[in-house]
Amino acid sequence: MSTRPQDDLPAEELIPQGAASLESILCTDELRRRPSRPPDYEKENRALVALAAAMVDPKANILQTFAETILEITQSDSAGLSLLTKDGGKRFYWPAIAGEWKPHAGGGAPRSFGPGGDVLDRDCTLLFRRFERRYTYLQAVAPAAEECLMVPFYVAGKPVGTIWAMMHSDRRGFDAEDERALTALGQFAALAYQTVDSLQDLRAEIAAREKAESALREFAKGLEVKIQRLVESNVIGIVIFNLEGAVSDANGAFLQMVQYSREDLVTGRVRWTDLTPAEWSDRDQRALAELRETGLLQAYEKEYFRKDGGRTPVLLGGALFEKGGSEGVAFVLDLSEQKQTAETLRRVEQQARSIVESALDAVIAMDGDGIITDWNQEAEEIFGWTRLEALGRRMSETIIPMRYRAAHETGLRRFFQTGEGPVLNKRIEISAIRRNGEEFPVELSITPLRFGETWMFSGFLRDISDRLRSEEQLRRSELNLRRMTETIPEMLWSAAPNGAVDYCNARVLEYTGLAQDDIAGAAWMKTVHPDDARNTERAWAHSVRTGDPFQSEFRSLRGSDGMYRWCVSRALPLRGFDGFILKWYGTIVDFHDRRQAEEALRNTQAELAHVNRVMTMGELAASIAHEVNQPLASIIASGDSCTAWLANEPPNLERARAAAGRVIQAATQASEIVQRIRALFKKTTASTTSVNVNAVIEDTISLLRHEAQRHDISLLTDLEADVPSVRADRVQLQQVILNLVMNAIESTASVDRERRSLVIQSARSNPGELLVAVKDAGPGIDAQQAERLFAPFFTTKPQGIGMGLPISRSIIEAHGGRLWAEKNEPQGAVFQFVLPTPVQGQ
Amino acid sequence: MSAQDCIVFVVDDDPLVRESLQDLLNSAGFTVRTFGSATEFIRSQRPDVAACLILDVELPDLSGLDLQAELVKSGIEIPIVFLTGYGDIPMSVRAMKAGAVEFLTKPFRKEPLCDAVREALARDGEDRKQRAEVLALRNRLETLTPRERQVLALVVTGLLNKQIAGELGTTDLTIKAHRGRVMRKMGAGSLADLVRMAGKLKISSDPGVRPK
Repeated sequence: MSTRPQDDLPAEELIPQGAASLESILCTDELRRRPSRPPDYEKENRALVALAAAMVDPKANILQTFAETILEITQSDSAGLSLLTKDGGKRFYWPAIAGEWKPHAGGGAPRSFGPGGDVLDRDCTLLFRRFERRYTYLQAVAPAAEECLMVPFYVAGKPVGTIWAMMHSDRRGFDAEDERALTALGQFAALAYQTVDSLQDLRAEIAAREKAESALREFAKGLEVKIQRLVESNVIGIVIFNLEGAVSDANGAFLQMVQYSREDLVTGRVRWTDLTPAEWSDRDQRALAELRETGLLQAYEKEYFRKDGGRTPVLLGGALFEKGGSEGVAFVLDLSEQKQTAETLRRVEQQARSIVESALDAVIAMDGDGIITDWNQEAEEIFGWTRLEALGRRMSETIIPMRYRAAHETGLRRFFQTGEGPVLNKRIEISAIRRNGEEFPVELSITPLRFGETWMFSGFLRDISDRLRSEEQLRRSELNLRRMTETIPEMLWSAAPNGAVDYCNARVLEYTGLAQDDIAGAAWMKTVHPDDARNTERAWAHSVRTGDPFQSEFRSLRGSDGMYRWCVSRALPLRGFDGFILKWYGTIVDFHDRRQAEEALRNTQAELAHVNRVMTMGELAASIAHEVNQPLASIIASGDSCTAWLANEPPNLERARAAAGRVIQAATQASEIVQRIRALFKKTTASTTSVNVNAVIEDTISLLRHEAQRHDISLLTDLEADVPSVRADRVQLQQVILNLVMNAIESTASVDRERRSLVIQSARSNPGELLVAVKDAGPGIDAQQAERLFAPFFTTKPQGIGMGLPISRSIIEAHGGRLWAEKNEPQGAVFQFVLPTPVQGQ
Repeated sequence: MSAQDCIVFVVDDDPLVRESLQDLLNSAGFTVRTFGSATEFIRSQRPDVAACLILDVELPDLSGLDLQAELVKSGIEIPIVFLTGYGDIPMSVRAMKAGAVEFLTKPFRKEPLCDAVREALARDGEDRKQRAEVLALRNRLETLTPRERQVLALVVTGLLNKQIAGELGTTDLTIKAHRGRVMRKMGAGSLADLVRMAGKLKISSDPGVRPK
C-alpha cells in the first residue's frame, strides 16, 4: 500500500480542528530518562563503511543505502530521510525509506505543518509519539508511528532536511544511544546529500562528454558531411587554419570557447598563435612538426587565451587537408567543465577517503594488473606497510602467503576471461601475511568495480586473529563440555522449547538401547512403562506449557536386560533474557535399587510398628476384654430377657421390644469397638489423610480408660477446641498416643494413689505446629535418661521389647514432626510431639 | 419367701449393662434398683428387706472389691454377686474369701445369674432370720437377774446343780429354783434348747459372764 499524502496536503491555514498540540505529541525528555542500550560501535562502523563504499560506487543508490544504515544502527522499524524540495523548501519529500515505511518512499509532508518542520524550526532532535494525532494527514500512512526520533541536518550551515527512525510498536522505546547514533548519522547525511547532488551533475557532464567524444571520432574519420554537421552543430569547436598562424574560419563553439568574434579571427586581427599561452608554444611547435610530417595531429590537451585574458583548457586535434599542404582543420574540445568535474570528483573522493581512512577495517584496492592502488591507515596498521610503500606493489607479493599466490594470479586471469570469481562479493576467511612474514587470519570481502574498460578491485579486510582465538576457545570449551556430557556417568538430555527431545547423551543411549536417531521428538516415551506413560507425559506437557520444573518417576525399559526399572527424570528450562524458554535440560537417574531398598525398609518399619501395636494391644488385653464384654453382656442379658418376656402368659411384647432394641444398640457399640481395635491390629500401609488430632486422642482414650482404671489412675484430657487438622496416618498417630499413654500409665502405677493421674493435652504451639503432650506425675525422668529412652531395645517393662518410643519417634519424624521428653512440674514426665499443620490458605 | 418381698441392687457404670440387668431380673420376677457407682450405692437409703448386690468389679471411682471391703467394715451385711469383664483367679479368690456369693464373668446367661441371685437372697433371708432370732434371745436374756445369768452360763457348760452350787457357794435347792426360772424366762423346753440358745448368744463360761 502506498499513500502519497503530499497530494492532498492541508494548507497552512487549514490546521484541522481538534488536532493535538505539538507539546502533547513530544516526549523528547524521556530519551534521557530511559535506560540506554550500550553503543555498538562495531556495527555502526560496519554500516558507515558500507555507506562509504556506496558513496564511491557510481551505481549505488546512496540515499537508500543511507536509509538502510539508519535502520540498522537504530534497530528501528522504519527509517529514512526527508529533504526540502528545491522549489524554495515548501515541502519535504521522502527520497529514501527503509523498513516498514519503504512503500511510502516518494511521499512527503508540508514544511509548515509537520514533524520535519518542527525539527527544523526548533533546530534540535525531537522524539514524537503518535504524531498523527496532530498531523492528521499522517493517519493515512500505515503502519502508525508509535515513536519517531528525528534530527535535522545541514549543508553549509543551511538546513536541507531531516533523518528519522520510527518504531511501529512499543516493543522498544528510543533512548539516548539512539539519539547519539542518529545525530552522528546526520553528519553523514550532509555528505551523502552533497555526493548525490554532485553525482547527479557529474552524470550529466559525463553524458555530454561521451556524446562529444563520439562526434569527435566520426570527425576524425574524415567524413566530411559529418564534419560539416559537426561544424554546424557547434558541439565542438572547429577551426580552419594554415600553418602560418592564420585562421580562415571557426565555428560558433570555438568562438564561444575563446570568446572572440569570427571577425577577429578571419580578418587576421587575432592569429591562432596569439591564442596560445607561452608555456604551450613548445608543445605547439612539436604539433606543427608532426603536422608537417604526417599531415595529422594527435589530439593533445592545451590551453587557449580567452578574449578576457582567462584561459580555457581544451583538447586539440587536427589534420592538414592535404599532406604537404599548409591548410588544415583543427577540432577543439572545451575541457573546462570536464576539469571542473574532475575537481568535484576529486573532492568527493577525498571525502570518501576520509571515511575509508577512519574505517576500522583495512580498505585496500587493486587494479586489473594486480597492483595496489589504495591502502588505508588500518591497512598500514595490520600489514606493516605504509601507504606510500604499498601503493604500486603487487598485491599478491604484499599480503598473500606464498602458497596462495599462484592461485591468486590464476583467479585474476580467470575473472577477466569469465567474469566470475569464487571469492568475489562475499565475506571469506583467509590467511594473509604481515610485512614481517607472520601469517594471520583475515576476514575479507572483495568487490570488483568496473571503470569503463578497466577493472578495479576493492577489498575490506579485518584481522580476525583475536576473534578466531576466542572462537577457538569457545569451540574448545564446547568440545570440553560435550566430552563431559558424553563421559560423565549420568544420563542427560535436552529438549526444544516445544518439548521435542533433541539430544540424549551416550549414557541414555546405552541404557535404553536406543540409537541417537530414535530419540528425536517423543520416541523415548516408548521406553516408559505403559502404566507410567500417561502421568509422565502429562507432567512433561505441563512443564512445557508452564515452564515449571519437570519431575517424574517412571519405570523405564533397560535395553541390556529388557527389565523395567524405576527411574526419575528431572528437567529445568534455560530462559533467554526476555524470559522465553530457549531449551530444556534434564537428567535421568535409575533409582530402582534405592527404591527397592527404601520399600524394604518401609516394609520392615511397618512390620515393626505392627509388632509394637500387637504387643501394646496384648498389654491392653484386660481392658480390651472388658471393653468388648460390656456390650456382649448387655446383648446376652437383653436376649435372655427378651425371650423371657415373650414366654410370659400373655407375652409382654413391650418389654420384649425394648430388650431387642438394647440388643441392637449394644451390638452396634460392640462392632464399633471391634472396628477400633482391628484397625490397630491390622497391618496397613501408610495412608495420609486429613486427621483431627482431638478425635484420635478421644478414640485412643476409649481403649485405655479401663486400663487406667485397673491401675487406679485418673485419665484427664485438656484438648484445645478447634485444633487445625494435620496430614497424617491415623493408625500410626493413634499408635504413638497409645504408646505414650501406656508408658505413662505404667510409670504412674508405681506411685501413691493420690498422685495417680495423667493428662493428655492438645494445643496449637508455634505457628504452623500442633502440640500433643502426655503428662504424668510418675517418678519422672532425669536428663541423662531422656535420650536413652528413645534408643531401641531400651525398656523398663518385663514383656516390652523396647521399641515403642523409637517407633513412635520415627513415625512422628516421618510426619515432619518432633517427639521428645521433658520433666513435668512439679513431678513426673512429659512426652510430647509436634506435627506441622498446613499453612493458612492451602 | 417370695421374690417380691426382696430386692436386688445392681451397681455398674455402663448404663446399657445396667438397664439390661434390670430388665433381665425383672423378667425373672425380681425387684431391682440400679446404681452407676459404689458411692451412689453407699449413700442410698435401702429398705429393710432381704436383698443382694450385683456388683461390677471394674468401677470408675471405687472398685467392686473395694466396695465389698468398705461394706464389711461398716457392718453392712449383704450378699454380693460379682460381675467382671476380665476375671482372673486372684481377683475371684479375694472376692469369694470376703464372702461373695458368686463371681460371674461377662457375658453371662440368665440362669446362672438368677441362681446366684436367688442363692444370695436366700442367704440374706437366712441371715436375717438368724439375726432376728438372736435379737429375741437377747431380749429374753435381758430379763434374767445377774444370778440367773451366772446359773445359765454354768448350766450350758454341762455342770450338775450340785457342782454349780459348789461353784457359787449355795445349795442345790437354790440352784434348782434359779435353773427353773432361767428355763422359763428363756422359753427353753429342754437343757439342749438352752445350750443352743446360749451358743447363739455366744454365752460361754468366759469370765465376762461368769459370776464375780
